[in-house]
Amino acid sequence: MAIVLIGVNHKTAPVEVRELLAFSEGALAAGLHQLVDGEILREGLIVSTCNRVEVLSTTGKDQLQQGTERIRDFLSRSHNIAGNSFSAHFYQHVDDQAVRHIFRVASSLDSMVVGEPQVLGQVRRAYSQAIEAGTAGRVLNRLVHHAFHVAKRVRSETGIAASAVSISYMAVELGKKIFRSLEGCSVLLIGAGEMAELSARHLMNAGVARVMVTNRTAAAAHRLARDFGGEAASFDALADHLAEADIIICSTAADGYVVTPEMAAAALNRRRNRPAFYIDISVPRNVDPAIGKLPNLFLFDIDDLESVITSNIREREHEAQRAELIVDSEVMQFEQALRALDIGPTLAALRQKLQDIARHELERQRSRLGQLSAEQENAIDALLVGTVNKISHPVLNHLRRSAGNGESIQAWREIFGLETPDGATAEDIDE
Amino acid sequence: MKPLLLAVLAAYFVAAIHSILAFVNKRRALQRVCDLSLIVGFTLHTTALIADWVIDRRYPLLSLRETLSFLAWTVVAAYAVVLYRYGAYALGVIALPLVSLLTFVSIFLRTGPTIAVEQLSGSSGRWLFPLHTTLLTFAYAAFFVVFVSSVMYLLQERELKLKTFSAFFHRLPSLTTVNDISTTAATMGLTLLTLGIATGMLWSASRDGRLWHNDPKEVFALLTWLLYLGLLVYRSTARWRGRRAAWLGVLGFLLVIFTFLGPRLMDSYHVFG
Repeated sequence: MAIVLIGVNHKTAPVEVRELLAFSEGALAAGLHQLVDGEILREGLIVSTCNRVEVLSTTGKDQLQQGTERIRDFLSRSHNIAGNSFSAHFYQHVDDQAVRHIFRVASSLDSMVVGEPQVLGQVRRAYSQAIEAGTAGRVLNRLVHHAFHVAKRVRSETGIAASAVSISYMAVELGKKIFRSLEGCSVLLIGAGEMAELSARHLMNAGVARVMVTNRTAAAAHRLARDFGGEAASFDALADHLAEADIIICSTAADGYVVTPEMAAAALNRRRNRPAFYIDISVPRNVDPAIGKLPNLFLFDIDDLESVITSNIREREHEAQRAELIVDSEVMQFEQALRALDIGPTLAALRQKLQDIARHELERQRSRLGQLSAEQENAIDALLVGTVNKISHPVLNHLRRSAGNGESIQAWREIFGLETPDGATAEDIDE
Repeated sequence: MKPLLLAVLAAYFVAAIHSILAFVNKRRALQRVCDLSLIVGFTLHTTALIADWVIDRRYPLLSLRETLSFLAWTVVAAYAVVLYRYGAYALGVIALPLVSLLTFVSIFLRTGPTIAVEQLSGSSGRWLFPLHTTLLTFAYAAFFVVFVSSVMYLLQERELKLKTFSAFFHRLPSLTTVNDISTTAATMGLTLLTLGIATGMLWSASRDGRLWHNDPKEVFALLTWLLYLGLLVYRSTARWRGRRAAWLGVLGFLLVIFTFLGPRLMDSYHVFG
């Protein structure tokens, strides 16, 4: 049995290629049925997102060549692409390399933004679609569950997703760093841009108690306040509102400074020096950078946020190296588990083989035994099977214990002339 | 008592190492090892202190050796309180190595009691003196917590202002948290210090009728008291929140260390505690 993975991702293929190869939600089930024929490809799973299209499948060890060709064919045919035109973009992994790849994908080590959390959900969705289509079998079930386990370990044991890498999430992270928890904090939104709204939404999800919105045009402020379930605040009384807010997000289209050092200092004074967090996402800047020098006030403009994000991405890449070690050890563990999975059919085949030998010998000698009652027939059968089972029991037990050792299983198979695990006989007995 | 104290030292040492490892690697499993060995160490330490008291019939706070051991015990207790109240594990990275060091020194330092027991046998001295030293030891532990949380505040405040974040940044508790820890610990420390000074005065009065001797230690203790009082007053009027209060917390602790050890260099009858 071999695990094969063929696909493209953002590193190997430009978006024009990826979008051609992508599967729509509706096309996936049909695709899975088309892919898995039960002969060459036995199981199948397709992960199709904007950054990757990957086909994961299992095939026989001696059918590897046919299997990979079939997957490549499938990818071209299902998108009406001529022959090998994209083959340069495909990567192909087999067995432990395929296992490693799917572990890395699920752990978000292969993502464009390393550590982003969406990819795990995408793999999860791909898996449930494979289950619905009935193309996830013994091996893929194990593999995907193991991949979820690896992703969880990576997330909890490394800092791969610890720091924010987007501006809107940065506001939440820095807010938590200053105020411990955002619950009970109030936010003032001055003006509105897409980024400011997104930041405000993230902050609300993180539990801020109160959102105030102000704008030069009162109507716009009211509209936004309604959107956010917040309160509209008058622009003329901006100085008052500054004192009430813990987090101030500023993004107006004004040319000059909307918040001056005098206003900020007065607000701090009225806040009895409780810390204030200013985020200025407007270009040109709307908050006078001089206020950053005031004590207990923290000001971040768009460049500050961008540079923190850059350093966070570097930090994530550093953590990713630790994550790779986890993946390494988990790949080894999975290989072991997989070999243990292989042992089941072998044991059954072995037991069957020994019983067959015994019954065969009985048949050869049967005529000499003369007429026997049904009871006697049964007794002889029980005698044979019992003897065979008693003798083979320690051998099978030993095999089960050394399941992690693939070579010894293979050796036993050869000794008793059993077919390889890829041959139909052994597997049919098991299933 | 020595084997027991060595076990205490070993447990504290393991806790300190794992606290640092947990801080660096952000691993909860390591933190659990730290917590467990700290619990073991603290239990054994408590047993040792009580045993000292019961068996030797001597309150264990007379020699430098005993004082350091008790100080280590109070720092662990203070750390436990901070953990329970604020979950600020980062404190352990500085507190637990210090605890290990104090325990180590207290085990391997060889000095007998420097205050003769007879000196304490005055009528009220018997209970006033131990109370005096105990209160002050707890006060020192509280001021140590103020110091560490102030340092954590300053580190983070600086990084937030400069907008460059080091590896420390993500591992330290939020500004508000360390600010709260610092304020609470300073309040407790000042209360204990006030009571400690007061009991010391009463003891002194009962011994020779004088409340104040102009002893270097007394003078420094008074300065310390004024400094922390100033810190809390300014904090409550909200004029000195944040960085400046944190600097006072650092400065105050330097004064505390000097009050604790400095007078030995000058001619003082106050030696420890």
